Amino acid sequence: MKKTSSPRKSSRKPASKAPGSRRAPWFWRIVWRVALLGFVVLAGWAVYLDAVVTKRFEGKRFEVPSRVYARPLELYEGASVTSSNLQRELGLAGFRKGDGVRPGSFSQSGPRFVISTRGFRFADGEEPRRRLEVTITNAQVSRLRVLSGPASPIVRLQPAQIGGIYPAHREDRVLIRLEDLPEHFAETLLMTEDRDFYDHHGVSPLSIGRAFWVNLQAGRVVQGGSTLTQQLVKNLFLSRDQTLVRKGNEAMMALLLELHYDKPEILETYLNEVYLGQAGNRSIHGFGLGSQFYFGESIEDLDLHQFALLVGLVKGPSYYDPRRHPKRALARRNLVINTLAKHGAVDESKARQALAQPLEVTQKPSYTENRYPAYIDLVQRHLARDYKQEDLQSEGLRIFTTLDPAIQYAAEYSVTETLKGLEPAKTPSPLESAMVVSSRDTGEVLALVGGRDSQFAGFNRALDARRPIGSLIKPFTYLTALGKPDRYTLMTPVEDRRFALVFDDGRRWEPKNYDGEEHGQVPLHRALARSYNLAAVRVGLDVGIDAVTETLQTLGVTSPVSGYPSMLLGSVAMTPVEVASLYQGLATSGFNMPLRTIREVTDAAGVSLSRYSLAVDQVVDPAVVHLIQYAMQETMREGTGRSAYRFLPSDLALAGKTGTTDDGRDSWFAGFSGDLLAVAWIGRDDNTTTTLTGASGALPVWSRFMSQVPQRGFSPVVPDGVQYHWVNTEQGALTDEHCENARFMPFIAGSEPKDRISCSGNMTKRLRGWFEGLFQ
Amino acid sequence: MKTRHAHLAWTIAAALFISGCATGPDGNIYVPPEQKPESRKDAPIPPEVRPKDSPIRKSEQPPQSVPEVEDEDGREESGSPSYQEQGEPLSPAAASLMKQADTLLRQDNPRAAVSQLERAQRISPRSAEVYYKLSEAYVAMNRLEPAEQFTLKGLSLAGNNTRLQRSGWQLLADIRRANGNTAGADQAEARAAKL
Repeated sequence: MKKTSSPRKSSRKPASKAPGSRRAPWFWRIVWRVALLGFVVLAGWAVYLDAVVTKRFEGKRFEVPSRVYARPLELYEGASVTSSNLQRELGLAGFRKGDGVRPGSFSQSGPRFVISTRGFRFADGEEPRRRLEVTITNAQVSRLRVLSGPASPIVRLQPAQIGGIYPAHREDRVLIRLEDLPEHFAETLLMTEDRDFYDHHGVSPLSIGRAFWVNLQAGRVVQGGSTLTQQLVKNLFLSRDQTLVRKGNEAMMALLLELHYDKPEILETYLNEVYLGQAGNRSIHGFGLGSQFYFGESIEDLDLHQFALLVGLVKGPSYYDPRRHPKRALARRNLVINTLAKHGAVDESKARQALAQPLEVTQKPSYTENRYPAYIDLVQRHLARDYKQEDLQSEGLRIFTTLDPAIQYAAEYSVTETLKGLEPAKTPSPLESAMVVSSRDTGEVLALVGGRDSQFAGFNRALDARRPIGSLIKPFTYLTALGKPDRYTLMTPVEDRRFALVFDDGRRWEPKNYDGEEHGQVPLHRALARSYNLAAVRVGLDVGIDAVTETLQTLGVTSPVSGYPSMLLGSVAMTPVEVASLYQGLATSGFNMPLRTIREVTDAAGVSLSRYSLAVDQVVDPAVVHLIQYAMQETMREGTGRSAYRFLPSDLALAGKTGTTDDGRDSWFAGFSGDLLAVAWIGRDDNTTTTLTGASGALPVWSRFMSQVPQRGFSPVVPDGVQYHWVNTEQGALTDEHCENARFMPFIAGSEPKDRISCSGNMTKRLRGWFEGLFQ
Repeated sequence: MKTRHAHLAWTIAAALFISGCATGPDGNIYVPPEQKPESRKDAPIPPEVRPKDSPIRKSEQPPQSVPEVEDEDGREESGSPSYQEQGEPLSPAAASLMKQADTLLRQDNPRAAVSQLERAQRISPRSAEVYYKLSEAYVAMNRLEPAEQFTLKGLSLAGNNTRLQRSGWQLLADIRRANGNTAGADQAEARAAKL
């Protein structure tokens, strides 16, 4: 201890001796030393701050979230859209009800809409601004006229943003460049926030002095002396506390920033960083997003009265929130405009014009976040195959999905309302539901419902509830059988009688025709339409479980399929999305068509990164699928699905299949019209029983949904190799149209019956048939 | 290979020109919605649900009390099966997009053409022509597998329209030949010749 302390002493002594001749030499020495020490510390601190400042500025400056868009609405004569859906679509895409002249506004009188589009940059090209007149009759666009802008028989509206993929700090922004700013924007900003911006070096003593004087006069803080650079530094690096140390840091960092970077660069960063508001837990940063958030417009399209408001908001986005405090916001905006006029930045008349304008902010942000949690979940899972999460959170990608807001709305509504009716009172484990809707001809997923509360971002049953599919498997058993036209036709009598299977380990399996009944010999088409179990198992065992499994796999089933005969009654567990994918093959007449949720991903500038193209792959003979489609249409007309037609027009010619598992644990329905394929499921999360069947649970959801969407009926083109004949299915013979039990039925050419029976005895019927034929 | 593709493209163009003259049936099968979803009060009533106290019936079949659907003569109510003999004609909007796609193909930009054709396909998904044109775009990209599949899809919608069938089978023959599948090509050619 001594040793270490002694050299200090000795070093002090000569130091105190040296300036002995001066007055109070020790004082100056201490001052000098403290100053030196302070300087060293400060220099070190400056070096540290410099590193902080440059590190942030050298790399990627901002993490820009990815934007997820719904499919754009395409308007053309004949397009299926109702007036209410068009209104909703326009609202989602940020259009305002107005004069239909200003871009982004529309007017409506009865069935006639005048829409002034904003234009949008799609990956395949720019959709220019247009003014349109759209007339809607009978849920269809009956007339489309382009009033101004390039003529075209088909126009795409800008798509609604339906979500975003945000970085952890939830900052949302749209990057802009200085050259994107409209005329006078920069002057407005500088005039309001930092008049000496181009003259100072980061801090402005002049501004501080001015603010000090103004505040002193007012007796409170009314003006800040911070430069833009200081504000930027504060936002980027520092906390919001008002301490001296923080102020000191701010000033130093501002000086350092100015030392390294030029004014335009600092200004541009400021434009993108500034905080302008809050939408839920998402914070709105930068004028690029601010402009869209408040006006639904791109920054370059804003007028003076609009960007004056944005600039005014910088002072206090919450205090001056134009949606919550429009009066305050208007006063603030007008102050900004008056200041501009006072300093001659804009001429008097322009200022007066701007002052006369209303605030013009959009009603609400053009999308509410998490409006479609289940669908976005599916999109994210698809993206995860090709993109890294950090890129999605920071690169500002644009993701164009296939979501159809109108169809999603109808699906959510059908699930919620039907479940309310099925189980009005609350139970410990309430009924839950899921629904998937895809476009029959493209495989695009148009809507996805993950539970009865579609706003709840939790367990996504459409993707994750893996449940036995029950009788939904039967079409695939019969498809396998009908693939052997020498043995099976739609008319082939099949046995619906009890039997027992005894396994090697002694277990017995005795399938039941649920209601305990046996139906004896029934023609195959009826066995499917009425979903008879015993017949299905017998046919399945005859063609072989392996063959049925192979059919499932051919049509895209990848999960393991049990080899037990119980699979023929749907012990196979699948998720609603997998069922939709499986049924897509039946709906498209034997072409596999992968379900798609994303059409394209582009970078922030609109350059395509990946396209997910339409793909078709013929895996099953369309002729055989046509026979199944016939039986599935019969299911709807006469079989287990017929209650649907109580609410649906028969010309939809729907095709579908019910599915129920033991004690109603799962109630399924899968089916399609000309345009849509939909799968509905109802059950409980804890897998307990319900009183429902496929026909009394999922089918009502499905038919309610179908009843709300304008669409075309299902009318497949008769494939090559299929011929229709009038047959008597009881007798297994060709017959005449007017005969009893006559049915017009498709056959694979050559497999139709050879025998013919006539009903010559019944003269009245023959005559009636003859007359009917005459007047048809 | 290149000249072979050029020849193929030419054949396709010629075939499509011929098929373009063909028209399908013009029946209006469009079904407007029954109810508007926004008017919740008027929303469709869900099908009747069995009362809570009824026994759990593990069947999807209608209960026994529901009579079999028969008309007064005992003739089975078979309804009329819904099918059509031909695909549907191109809508004018889809036709305009196909025209754009043609221009893009001439400018040697098949990728952009596919974008427009997919839009056309969404509008007129039951017209064989759209699929033949998609096939042409894929041939231009030298992607013969999808080209063959789109031709097959188009053929499945040709129905009894001989011109569309003939151009489809010829297109298929050309694609298969270019892809080295001579047997498949001969088969397709034979089908075309039979028409």
